[in-house]
Amino acid sequence: MINVQDVTKKFQDKKVYVTALKHVSFDVQKGEVVGLLGENGAGKTTLLRTIATLLTPTDGTISVAGYDTVKNPEEVKKKMGVLFGGETGLYDRLTARENLEYFATLYGLSKHETKVRIEELAKMFGMKDYLNRKVVGFSKGMRQKVAIARTLIHNPDIILFDEPTTGLDITSSNVFRQLVHQLKRDGKTIIFSSHIMEEVTMLCDTVAMMHKGELVHHGSLEALYKEEESRDLNYIFMSKLVRGNTDYVS
Amino acid sequence: MFLNIYKKEMKDSFRDRRTLLLTVLLPIIMMTGLVLFYENMISDGANETYTLAVNESFGTNEEALFTGIKNIELVKTPNPETTLGDGDAQAALILSQDFIKKVQKGEDATATLIGDSFSQKSSQLMTFVTTALGNYEFIVVSERLSGQGIPEKLVQPFTIVQKELTEENDGLNLIAMLVPLILALAIGIGAGPSAADLFAGEKEKKTMEALLMTPVNRMTLLTAKWLTIATIGAITGMITLVVVALEINFLTESLKSAVSFGDNVYIIIGVALLGSIVYSMFVASLLMITSIMGKTIKESQSYSTPIMMIAMFPLMITTGIGINELSFHHFAIPMMNIFTILKELSFGIVNYQHLGIMIGSNLVYIVIAFIVARIMFMKDKWVMN
Repeated sequence: MINVQDVTKKFQDKKVYVTALKHVSFDVQKGEVVGLLGENGAGKTTLLRTIATLLTPTDGTISVAGYDTVKNPEEVKKKMGVLFGGETGLYDRLTARENLEYFATLYGLSKHETKVRIEELAKMFGMKDYLNRKVVGFSKGMRQKVAIARTLIHNPDIILFDEPTTGLDITSSNVFRQLVHQLKRDGKTIIFSSHIMEEVTMLCDTVAMMHKGELVHHGSLEALYKEEESRDLNYIFMSKLVRGNTDYVS
Repeated sequence: MFLNIYKKEMKDSFRDRRTLLLTVLLPIIMMTGLVLFYENMISDGANETYTLAVNESFGTNEEALFTGIKNIELVKTPNPETTLGDGDAQAALILSQDFIKKVQKGEDATATLIGDSFSQKSSQLMTFVTTALGNYEFIVVSERLSGQGIPEKLVQPFTIVQKELTEENDGLNLIAMLVPLILALAIGIGAGPSAADLFAGEKEKKTMEALLMTPVNRMTLLTAKWLTIATIGAITGMITLVVVALEINFLTESLKSAVSFGDNVYIIIGVALLGSIVYSMFVASLLMITSIMGKTIKESQSYSTPIMMIAMFPLMITTGIGINELSFHHFAIPMMNIFTILKELSFGIVNYQHLGIMIGSNLVYIVIAFIVARIMFMKDKWVMN
C-alpha cells in the first residue's frame, strides 16, 4: 500500500544543508497499523509529511496505492487522511459542521454524501451536541475529535496521525485508541507517530524506529520482542538507540 | 471548487470582527473626520465671526475702516496684545494715537497687527484686516496724488490680471487630494487583516497543512484567497466612496459647492468605482505576497505595513502636479495611478486613454505579483512553518 524507497530529505538552512531523512526504505501493507517511534527531531514528522506529499523528497521515491507522491500528488491525497501534531488546525470562526462541510467539498463529496458522512462521524465521536457551535470555545478534546473527523471525512484508505494524543486527557486518548481499533477492523492502513510506548504496543502490528533521520528498525512487534528477548518496548527502544548511536554509550 | 473556497473565505473573513470594523466602520469614521476637517479648512470664513482686539482709543473714524466687513467684532481693551494672548480675540490691532487724523495730515502713523499664523481663524482675521488697511492705504494714496495733480497711473503703471487655468477652486483641489488619500488608506487597512489571516494565519493555526492535504490545486487556492482579499478591499473602497459622496452632499457646504460634475456625474462615479476595484486587486496581490512571506499574522503585518506606508508617497508627488502636467508615467505607475485618475475625476475629467493605461499597468503588475506568489506558494519553505 505504501512503499518508501531510499528516501532522503534535505533542508537548506541559510547556506547549510540539514539532512532530516537518510536513505529511509520500508513497506506498509494494506490494513497494517505502523507505529513510528523516535525522539524529538528524529525525522518522524518529516517522514509523514513526505509520505503525505507536503514535502518533496530530495532523493528516492514514495508510492501510495500505486501512485507516486511527486508525480501524482492529487491521487495520493484523495486516498489519504492526515492529522498532524497536537495542533488541530481548525477554522475557529466556523462551526464544527462548517469545518467538516468545507473539507468535504474540497475532497469532492456531494452534498448528500457530506451530510451522511458528518452524521456518521458525529455519532462515532459523540459530537452531536456541539456540531453547530463555533469551534472557538472548544476544549482541546473537542477540537481533536473534530480534527480527526475532518481527517476521515472522505473515508480515506490510508491514514497518517502525527502524535495524535499529544496534550489529550485520558478520556480523549482512549477515544482515539478505540478509533484506531475501529479503523483497523475496517481494513484501513495507518501510520502514526508517538512517544507513548504503551499506545504503540496496544495498537500497532509493526514498529518503525527512527533516530537522527535513519530508520534503525522496521518489523513486527512480535519479531522485535523475540529478537530483543524482551517485551518491554521502552527498554527495547532505548537499547536500540544505544546500539545505533555512540552518544548514548557514554 | 474555486467558488466554494471563495465563499468559505468570505464567510470566515466577515465573521472576524476586525474585518467588519475595518471595512465598514473605519472608512465611515475616517471619512467623517477628514471631510469635516477639510470643510473647515477651505471654508472662506464668510459665516464666521472673528474678534479683533483694539485699543480703547479706537474711535468712530477707525471703526469706519472695517465698514462692510460684518464678521469682524471689535473689542476695545486697554491692552489688545494681552487680550489676544488670553485667547479672547483672534488678532490684535494697535493703531498709533489719532491714527486717521495723522494719516490725513500726512504725519507718521503706525498700524501693528498681531496674530497667530498657525491658527486658521487668526490667519483669516489677519487677512481681512490687512485687506481693509490696504484698501484704506490705496484710497489715501489716490487722494494725495489727486490733491497734487499727479495721475494715479504714475504709481500704478499697469494692471495685473491673474487668471486660473481652470475655474475650479481650492475646495476641488482638496477633494482631489482627500478622496484618493482616504481611499488608498481604507483599502489597505480594510484588506490587511484578511490578507494576513488567509496565508500567514493559516500557517500559524496549522490549517494550511490540512488544506494542502486536500486534492485541490494550489493555484486554485491561491486565486480564491487573492480574490477574497481583493473583494474585501473593493468593498471597503466602495463604502469609502459612498460615504464621502453622502457626507460631502449632506454635511458640507464649501466642499459641496466645489463639486460640480454636471452630466458626467454617473460616469465619474462608475470610473471611480472601477479604479478602486483595480487598485484593490493590485493591493491584494501585494498583501498576498507579504502574507505568504510571514510565518505568523504578526510577521506578515510587519511586512505589509511599510508597503502601505510607501503607498502614500505618490500622493505627495502628485499633489504638487497640475492636472495639465500629468503624463504617461503618472498613469502607468501602480499606486500613483489611483491618485492621478481620481485627481482627474475630481476635476470632472474622464480620459479613457488614461484609464486604459491605469488598468493595463495594474494588470501587468498583478500578473507579475501572481507569478511571484505562485512560485512561493509551491515551495515547502513558504507554505509550512
